[in-house]
Amino acid sequence: MKSIFRLHNRFILSLVLAAVFVWSLFSIQWGTDLFHAGGIPTMLQIFEGLIHPDLSTEVLSLGFESAWITLAYAVAGMSLAIIYAFIIGILASGVLASNKTSIIISKVFFRGILGFTRSIHELIWAWLFVAAVGLSPYAAIFALAIPYGGILGRIFADMLNDVSEQPIKALKSAGATRLQTLIYGYLPLICADMISYTMYRFECAIRSSAIMSFVGLGGLGYQIQLSLADLKYDQVWSYVFFLIGLVLVVDIWSNFVRKGLTERKRRHGFSTGWRSTFFAILLILGSWVYIKLGENAQLFELLSGKNLEYAKKFFGGMIGINDRQPAFLDTGSWAAALKLTLETLEMSIMAIGFATIAAFFTVIPAARNIANGSLTSNKKWYNWFLYGIVRVVYIFSRSVPELVWAMMIIFIFKPGLLPGAVALALHNFGILGKLWAEVIEDMDPRPIRNLAAAGASKIETFFYGILPTVLPRFLTYILYRWEVIMRTTIVVGFVGAGGLGMDFKLAMSFFNYTQITLLLLCYMILVIIADFASESTRKAVK
Amino acid sequence: MKKWLSALILVMVVFSLAACGQKDDKAGEGKKEATTNKVFKIGAIPDQNAADLDKGMTAVAKYLSEKTGLKVEFVPSVDYAALVTGFQRGEIHMAWFGGLTSVQARNLVPEAESIVQRPRDAEFHSVFITQSSENFTKLEDLKGKSFTFGSESSTSGHLMPRYYLTEAGIDPNKDFDGKPNFSGSHDTTYKLIESGAFKAGALNEAVWEAAVKEGKVDTNKVKVFYTTPAYFDYNWTVNSNVEDVFGKGTKNKVKEALLSITSEQKEIADLFQTDRFVETKNDNYKKIEMVAKELKIIK
Repeated sequence: MKSIFRLHNRFILSLVLAAVFVWSLFSIQWGTDLFHAGGIPTMLQIFEGLIHPDLSTEVLSLGFESAWITLAYAVAGMSLAIIYAFIIGILASGVLASNKTSIIISKVFFRGILGFTRSIHELIWAWLFVAAVGLSPYAAIFALAIPYGGILGRIFADMLNDVSEQPIKALKSAGATRLQTLIYGYLPLICADMISYTMYRFECAIRSSAIMSFVGLGGLGYQIQLSLADLKYDQVWSYVFFLIGLVLVVDIWSNFVRKGLTERKRRHGFSTGWRSTFFAILLILGSWVYIKLGENAQLFELLSGKNLEYAKKFFGGMIGINDRQPAFLDTGSWAAALKLTLETLEMSIMAIGFATIAAFFTVIPAARNIANGSLTSNKKWYNWFLYGIVRVVYIFSRSVPELVWAMMIIFIFKPGLLPGAVALALHNFGILGKLWAEVIEDMDPRPIRNLAAAGASKIETFFYGILPTVLPRFLTYILYRWEVIMRTTIVVGFVGAGGLGMDFKLAMSFFNYTQITLLLLCYMILVIIADFASESTRKAVK
Repeated sequence: MKKWLSALILVMVVFSLAACGQKDDKAGEGKKEATTNKVFKIGAIPDQNAADLDKGMTAVAKYLSEKTGLKVEFVPSVDYAALVTGFQRGEIHMAWFGGLTSVQARNLVPEAESIVQRPRDAEFHSVFITQSSENFTKLEDLKGKSFTFGSESSTSGHLMPRYYLTEAGIDPNKDFDGKPNFSGSHDTTYKLIESGAFKAGALNEAVWEAAVKEGKVDTNKVKVFYTTPAYFDYNWTVNSNVEDVFGKGTKNKVKEALLSITSEQKEIADLFQTDRFVETKNDNYKKIEMVAKELKIIK
């Protein structure tokens, strides 16, 4: 009885999600004028740049330097994020709290902190920090560390809460203190998941680090933006290729680490784990030393009296000191901002909808265990070929920043929500596809092999074998990426894609501080909606 | 595995602590250095090709160093607002601003002064462009059409075009097909019109002329249908802290140096498309300030 009910639940949920997606499509006035052919020559110019990227030594050396800056900021930001996430995450999980009330208090309080820090996109953090403390590498590092710490911390807390109870009970009854159960019980149980998730976030951090430099902090994003503004598409692609290379290296490393975690056999001598640890430490050291010496960053100067005064002025402006008409107390401004909030919501739903559809049709060949036939015991020569193509498309799709996608498609689509959604979908479909493929790779192959052995066709194995097993995790990832997309809409808003992003940029340019506060409040409303929606759907799927 | 995880965390914590300690020592040294070794920093709004801007402004820095004996350095900046913020914080001592950004900067630093401009900046124009197939003749024809400005902080790409549109009875926020776009740069504006993404747009006349001359825009597809009346635009604005930091008379020294530039300084002349600079004063930008206030772009 129960299983039928669960099936129904999932079915209804899928219908609801599909309906929401269809609703979002109605926000666009569909018609032939959405697309205009005049942009095709420009698109061709852009593609020409893709085929003939600028490979002059000048661009290459600048590319290497910028790639290193991007990597160094990402590593430095992540190292702070891990520390922050580790401490706050443990506190937020409540495993150290002694009684019921303190568990609830720590959960609400620390989860609130984590929620607040991750509700604001790193680009906005970067902007706020630059406005408050000036163009310092620390602005970039903190801007990255804060939202990433928030996301990591929340996942760490969830993992700690999901640990199975028996081992913990055993430790407790053996007389272990809370700290001891944490160190010998909880942490060893979740550390594999923690590392694997951190590695994945690290890859994201590289992309964010590139995006963030749009505010002028140096790095690949900065170079991409400069070349785009000068209409030098061949250079744009050279830098994009550097970014792809960087993402690829991290991807390979992360696969290596994940493999080391799942296959528990130790090799002789240096194990994978130790090598990776050594490499990680080297990278972290190198990044910090470079930022300290190469960029001559001074933390002390951040706290100088002058800087504090500017920061005070800036944040004072945000809460409306010396402003007779703060935007956040004005009903007209609220009405306009809420309309933009709705637009942003629609754009994000459309984007995740498009990305889901694209990933759905490509994910099967992208899984390694399908390519090598171990899942379906069905080996075909073209499987590896397909696997290669789809994976390359995924990497390409997710390495090209949303902003670059948006800058390109704005030439052929009528500006508005649709090009924004398409740009976001193009970027996220690669991420979603990769995450889904990993879910399939990690699934138990036995039921599928049984089905295949019983003579089920490919489509049958997919619908009756693979899909039911992976659907809950697929849904989790869809919802989770949707949350991310919602925050990222700000990035495409800059290029005329509408929503809150464009207004945010205008408010920053016109030094209209109270309007910034208002728009940030709107972002928080969106994130609360997203959190609520994904929490309740996750419960429904469980 | 457990071991190496804890080792990783331990090392990271220890290292980050060590890094913090190190930072403080270093910062102390750096601070001393900064006060004894003053650099006169100049900036420019990024409204044209970054490589050209870098080349030309570096030449300006070199020229100013030779003439004034100060150590002058060019600090590139990625957007208009970032330069204004740097100026407000006193980190940029002199900047090549557009009309609007100079007004914004002086709004934030009341003692700052616009000192030098090019002859053409006294009567600058914006052009309104559209596709060749359209037969617009006046601004009123833009009603119900899609439209793009340049950067929102640009005088010639946004502020003055918006002003003349409003004068012609068009409310840019309501009367276009959808909201107006902000392309971010003058070059992107004509590219967008050329591609057909927008029916019309407005940009800096000088950038348009250069694009036509260099063949960067296809004049079979894009044409100018309206040129605005003249207004004051670009200028060199010097920060209020200059006399305090570099000694009395610095402002005049720098001003004289700028005014002595001729077409012999080829790299500078190329960037600014001028053979000389002339004096200007804050009052010249009263109209821009008024327009910006009227359009609620500054308070």
